[in-house]
Amino acid sequence: MEEIKKTSKIMLIASAVIPIIILAGMIAYIFGPGANLLDFGTSLPEITIEKIDFLDSKIVATVRNTGPIDVEVVQADVNDRIQPAAIEPSKKLNRFTTSKVIIPFEWNEAEPYEIGLTVSDGTRFTKSVLAAAATPVPNFELASYFAVIGTYVGIIPVMIGLLWFPFMARMSKNKYKFFLALTAGLLLFLGIDAIEEGLEISSENFAGAFNGNLLVVTVVIISFLGLYYSSEKLVSRAASSTMTKPIAIGLMIAIGIGLHNLGEGLAIGAAISLGEIALSTFLIVGFTIHNTTEGIAIAAPMARVKPMIGKLAAMGMIAGTPAIFGAWIGGFSYSPFTAVVFLSIGAGAIFQVVLSIINWIRQDGEKTLSNAAVASGIAVGMIVMYLTSILV
Amino acid sequence: MDLVKTMKGKMLISLIAVSVASTVCFTFLVVNTDAAEQPKTFLTHSGALIQTTGDILDPVGYTGKPLEFNPDKYLREFSYGTVSKLPDGTTLREFTIIAEDDKIMEISPGVFYNVWTFNGTVPGPTIRAIEGDLVRVHFINNGQKPHTIHFHGIHKAEMDGVFEPVGQGGGRFTYEFIAGPAGVHPYHCHVMPLEEHISHGLYGAYIVDPKDGRQPADEMVMILNGFDTDFDTENNFYAANTIPFYYQHHPIQINTNERIRVYVINILEFDQINNLHLHGTLFDYYPAGTYRLPSTYTDVITLSQGDRGIMEFAYEYPGKYLFHAHKTEFAEKGWTGLFLVKDSLEKIKQYGEK
Repeated sequence: MEEIKKTSKIMLIASAVIPIIILAGMIAYIFGPGANLLDFGTSLPEITIEKIDFLDSKIVATVRNTGPIDVEVVQADVNDRIQPAAIEPSKKLNRFTTSKVIIPFEWNEAEPYEIGLTVSDGTRFTKSVLAAAATPVPNFELASYFAVIGTYVGIIPVMIGLLWFPFMARMSKNKYKFFLALTAGLLLFLGIDAIEEGLEISSENFAGAFNGNLLVVTVVIISFLGLYYSSEKLVSRAASSTMTKPIAIGLMIAIGIGLHNLGEGLAIGAAISLGEIALSTFLIVGFTIHNTTEGIAIAAPMARVKPMIGKLAAMGMIAGTPAIFGAWIGGFSYSPFTAVVFLSIGAGAIFQVVLSIINWIRQDGEKTLSNAAVASGIAVGMIVMYLTSILV
Repeated sequence: MDLVKTMKGKMLISLIAVSVASTVCFTFLVVNTDAAEQPKTFLTHSGALIQTTGDILDPVGYTGKPLEFNPDKYLREFSYGTVSKLPDGTTLREFTIIAEDDKIMEISPGVFYNVWTFNGTVPGPTIRAIEGDLVRVHFINNGQKPHTIHFHGIHKAEMDGVFEPVGQGGGRFTYEFIAGPAGVHPYHCHVMPLEEHISHGLYGAYIVDPKDGRQPADEMVMILNGFDTDFDTENNFYAANTIPFYYQHHPIQINTNERIRVYVINILEFDQINNLHLHGTLFDYYPAGTYRLPSTYTDVITLSQGDRGIMEFAYEYPGKYLFHAHKTEFAEKGWTGLFLVKDSLEKIKQYGEK
């Protein structure tokens, strides 16, 4: 019996591995040494300047080889004027590796700059900065500054939104449904907003090699699936524990919004560190107003249970504090890649929350969504978000 | 049930593992770490001090590394041809010029560009004759495209190097004309598209000395040129004699109170104008070198493509003096050099012997 089991297992493994071996053989035959079947055309070098930092008397550009071949970076320029520079760790860049180009340069605050790098075949690649501003160096003062901003943007507005809890707790069933749908509308808007933002960052900063748009899609779906799976677990376990279902849903919404706020914090931190000061003021004011609605989203599903101030406050913190972490990450170590990943995770999380709210509405009544309160709720939610987003 | 549960759990874990791994892999992807290396300190040509454990991107570079093209040698090298006398007493000067268009040359540290060359260099050899000599240029085209040589000067229409493209892969043509007028003239390929043939480097200087000669001087040739290495019809590099910043790193040594004569030709493609500014002294300027009286005494001349002339000057005080395009963009992209003026009794070797 054991013998048979063993051989069948070997067979199983073999049947899984054989196609891979054949594939590897074919690739070796086509691309391997001595093969010249696909030897046509010229591979062009491509590098991407991912980040430009303005430090004391120098400009530092982070460059990545995003092309199909290894390259050598041989010359640096500022505003198209050749400058001596250092490149660490090496001027030779294998595929996907990065180096930092350090250019001694007395740059002027708030002036635009274009940084250019030339590779060995003479092709020049550039990245522009609208207004030079000293790159923030991580220190306690700045960290607490970001924490204060994160609190303003994330925690306080969510808490203000939660103040609608007593109001929602006392309303009729239909009005309550309206508010739940409103929440779904708000969140739907936020999710789409995050995807749009992610696509924008990826198309502005990513080389084609990274398939930025597909990265957004992939991360959104994985994040959605991950949260969907864990929230089902949470809700199904809610029955057997002290946690009631509304609270479980409220918690999931708080987590989803928290992930979203991480993305917002990232955007604010990055805007400050990239020197777009005016933009970040708008971001802060806009997000503050915008995020008040997030409090409503958390409060809505819990409006049918006995008020639990502690739990509500905790959820507000779960939803709000990630804005602080986001601001730290965005301000101190901004990279377009992390920004896109976080925004996409946030979007996936939000869509999962929208799905749970809709399920909640359906279970809480006649199992249909064709209801004036629901339809108008979603619509109003989206319109409110759109209008407040103009402020951002 | 248990199995399903663990399967689910496994799948979830693997999903998370895959996403975390790919994130880490992309975010921190292979930064080559040679942390143990000692930092190098480096003083740039602009005076900045760079300390680095990595590599240096230095537009001047070239310390100890031989160049494929030597601007020092080119500067004072004149080709007088193979000289013989015709029965009527005329001096015949014969030159052989071979065109090629497949060389890849390092035109700035680390930057490789496909140069098209006369006799293997950009610029081609400086052809020199005396007014009235018979100049015979045996031209061989070893390139992969048709080329010609178009000499500025006075000659018959069929010697103009425009309507007689010389075929690739060994095509031949003999250009023949009486040297004149006295002055400094460019020569260049005149095959269409002209812009392509000139910007790749098919040009050189052709000097005609007046019959009675010019006053003895330390003579040199500067061809103002540039390279558009990324083919966007804008030059990436500018220079006097091809290599950006070369004479800044290897100053041209001259003596105080000695007459310096510079044959300057602007062949720069793509840009409307070029210019030249000399520090610390002024010069007599003879446009095209054709008149014996200077047109101006100045320290800046402005040249359009094809403009050329002779500069004559001397330095009173020793030291380092810049010469560069006063179009500062060009200066900062390589068209900058230095004269190192010395108090020396030993005269620099006179080229000029006929």
